[in-house]
Amino acid sequence: MINVKPETTTMQNKAVDIHNLTDDQVALEIKDLNLFYGDKQALQNISMKIPKGQVTAFIGPSGCGKSTLLRSINRMNDLVDICKITGEINLHGENIYGKHVDVAQLRRKVGMVFQRPNPFPKSIYENVVYGLRLIGQKNRRVLDEACEKALRAAALWDEVKDRIHDSALGLSGGQQQRLVIARAIAIEPEVLLLDEPTSALDPISTLVIEELITELKQKYTVVIVTHNMQQAARVSDQTAFMYMGDLIEYSDTNTLFTTPQKKKTEDYITGRYG
Amino acid sequence: MNNLNKWFKSGSPWVWLSAGGVTLSLISVVGLLLLIASNGLSYFWPSQLHQFEMLDVEGTPSTVIGEIYDVESIPAEQLIHTGIDVKGAEFVERYLIKTGNRELVNLDFRWIAAPLIQQQSQPKDLVVIERRTNGNFYGFIEQVYMDGKVVELSQLNRFMDRVDDLQDEIFELQKTDIGAINYDLERIRLKSRKAEIDGELTPQLTAKFAAQTKQLKDEYLTLESKLNKLRDEVQRDKIVVRSMGGEKVEINLEQVIHISFNNQLNMLEKIGMFFAQIGNFIFAEPREANTEGGVFPAIFGTVLMVLLMTVIVAPLGVVAAIYLHEYAGNNAFTKLLRIAVINLAGVPSIVYGVFGLGFFVYMVGGSLDQIFYPESLPSPTFGSPGVLWSALTLAILTLPVVIVSTEEGLARIPASMRHGSLALGATKAETLWRIILPIASPAIMTGIILAIARAAGEVAPLMLVGVVKMAPTLPLDGNFPFLHLERKFMHLGFHIYDVGFQSPNVEAARPLVYATALLLVTIIVALNMTAVSIRNRLREKYRSLEH
Repeated sequence: MINVKPETTTMQNKAVDIHNLTDDQVALEIKDLNLFYGDKQALQNISMKIPKGQVTAFIGPSGCGKSTLLRSINRMNDLVDICKITGEINLHGENIYGKHVDVAQLRRKVGMVFQRPNPFPKSIYENVVYGLRLIGQKNRRVLDEACEKALRAAALWDEVKDRIHDSALGLSGGQQQRLVIARAIAIEPEVLLLDEPTSALDPISTLVIEELITELKQKYTVVIVTHNMQQAARVSDQTAFMYMGDLIEYSDTNTLFTTPQKKKTEDYITGRYG
Repeated sequence: MNNLNKWFKSGSPWVWLSAGGVTLSLISVVGLLLLIASNGLSYFWPSQLHQFEMLDVEGTPSTVIGEIYDVESIPAEQLIHTGIDVKGAEFVERYLIKTGNRELVNLDFRWIAAPLIQQQSQPKDLVVIERRTNGNFYGFIEQVYMDGKVVELSQLNRFMDRVDDLQDEIFELQKTDIGAINYDLERIRLKSRKAEIDGELTPQLTAKFAAQTKQLKDEYLTLESKLNKLRDEVQRDKIVVRSMGGEKVEINLEQVIHISFNNQLNMLEKIGMFFAQIGNFIFAEPREANTEGGVFPAIFGTVLMVLLMTVIVAPLGVVAAIYLHEYAGNNAFTKLLRIAVINLAGVPSIVYGVFGLGFFVYMVGGSLDQIFYPESLPSPTFGSPGVLWSALTLAILTLPVVIVSTEEGLARIPASMRHGSLALGATKAETLWRIILPIASPAIMTGIILAIARAAGEVAPLMLVGVVKMAPTLPLDGNFPFLHLERKFMHLGFHIYDVGFQSPNVEAARPLVYATALLLVTIIVALNMTAVSIRNRLREKYRSLEH
């Protein structure tokens, strides 16, 4: 993989036209992606470009393939034995499903946060610096700084700064989810994938996480899967609606929710099914 | 009818049934422990010494002195043909008396029937003397001699302390100093033999070895003369005692371990002596074909062997489980492997013993001898049963237990832990090492606990691969390399079998069997508790993960 540092300074969050993106506005390009679980096809010919420094939301009814699509961006689907993939996902113009891709390195560039908070049974500190330790960082000062920075970025620092060496399992669900986000951004990925990050949380924690997502797009490209349309409307710049493994409609969030082009999209956002 | 139906529906019969099951197991466990404990611990209690004045059927009087070991009620008819007058009673009591004095009578235990007892007393000056050979002596102290001169009885304690000190010195000299010289002599012999085999034995080398040998032999002679002097010293004092038959017996204090006026002891002194005896039992070496003295070598051997086995089986089992659960494909071959592992747990332990003897001892050990110890052949080094082979054999025996529980532990870990680690750029191996194994550690400990519980009680295979009735040296001593894994060792389980069933003196051995059994149970429980407490600490750490 080409090692390009995310150029945070040049990232701007102004509105872009996703159907006419210039090359340097694209974070990820998905091309003709087909995905099969055994004989069953879960994704059909998905093609889309995900813009840099913006929040892109995948919405759709249960089983539509939105989580599967998200997981294929950092190759978490590799863990499923029966999963087969054709097509390409390009990061910096290079196919992440190419032959010589180091999956571990890819996942350092494309971080992921899951539906349920999954902190490791270690201290808060050790959770945050886990990714850094993996790449061999041993310098105590570097680790300390990275830990504080990540926790601040995840809006958790003030709540835990006095007990970062206590077990992470003692935190509340919302705090745990922010810790997991801190853990993911501690290694400074380019893209952050969020898989229904608030579905296991209470409304207050959800609000905090949503604010956090808005903060995060200053530095990272965020892709979020949500079953909650209000949430998608609140936090995302672009929204993709998926149905039965197909990408039905993909446009900026405002347009999609106010003037959907497709009948299925309209049916879904007006609550006729889902 | 309706009520009964209701009662069944309420579920209480099942509650009662399961409670009954629990109670039954609890009672059997507690009962077993109590039986072993009471029988075993009574062995250490300084019991009262009795003097019985007897009149046998012909009217000849005699005296019996000793401890009461057992009381039994037998039907009177059994005694009638011996001519004893049972005075019409249906049942007659009889006592089992430990009379000791093995040099005077054939058996140191005898049954006496209650009707023959004329008088029973507990004279204050009756004494029990624990000796190095010939067992206990019961009788009265007549005279105390110091260097051939009669002295006061009150001097006895001082003399005993002196003898104890000298004995310790002799033991130290023999075991440590002379033992080291013998060890060095053997090494020189082996070195010269090795040089001979390799064809490198030059005259200079021979001369060097001869000089070393001579030096060691000179050292040995000095030590020997020192030893002889100590031996003379220790034999200075003696006592004359009178037995129940009136015979006077001279006992050199060198032979005496302990003299006790049991009938003069108050409760506190008895308790003190009780614990002293227990300490003696735990820390002393066995004597008289294991029927007397302590069991320290057996304790040491048991614990060492179990620890060694744990060190071998834990990594092996964990690695095997990781392969089966994490890396092996989910196919028929893996299933077959798993079935094989589980079936391995059902193989009788003696089969493992035979396998250990054939494979480890003869094949592996024999080859090791050929390669590394050709100089000491034909006498084997690793090619004969020893503690290492015992530990390995038991490790194989307990391997399935560790594999199965580790695998279960791995399977219980939520997938989100793996995903979380992988998503941060960890490889599978890093995830295993940093996340999965720590979380699975309580399950691994469970496997180890079960393995220890099984291995510590196993005797049958050990009889083939390393346990002996009497090991001259411990596997651990002061001679390089300190831990001698090729040595044979003693084991509490085998000790119980040996003392209980192979010793000529059944009555004397019985309490010892209980005491040893109690000790074995205590040690296994202690080993288990250690492992359990480690596991609980680990569990506490990862508690919130168990959904």
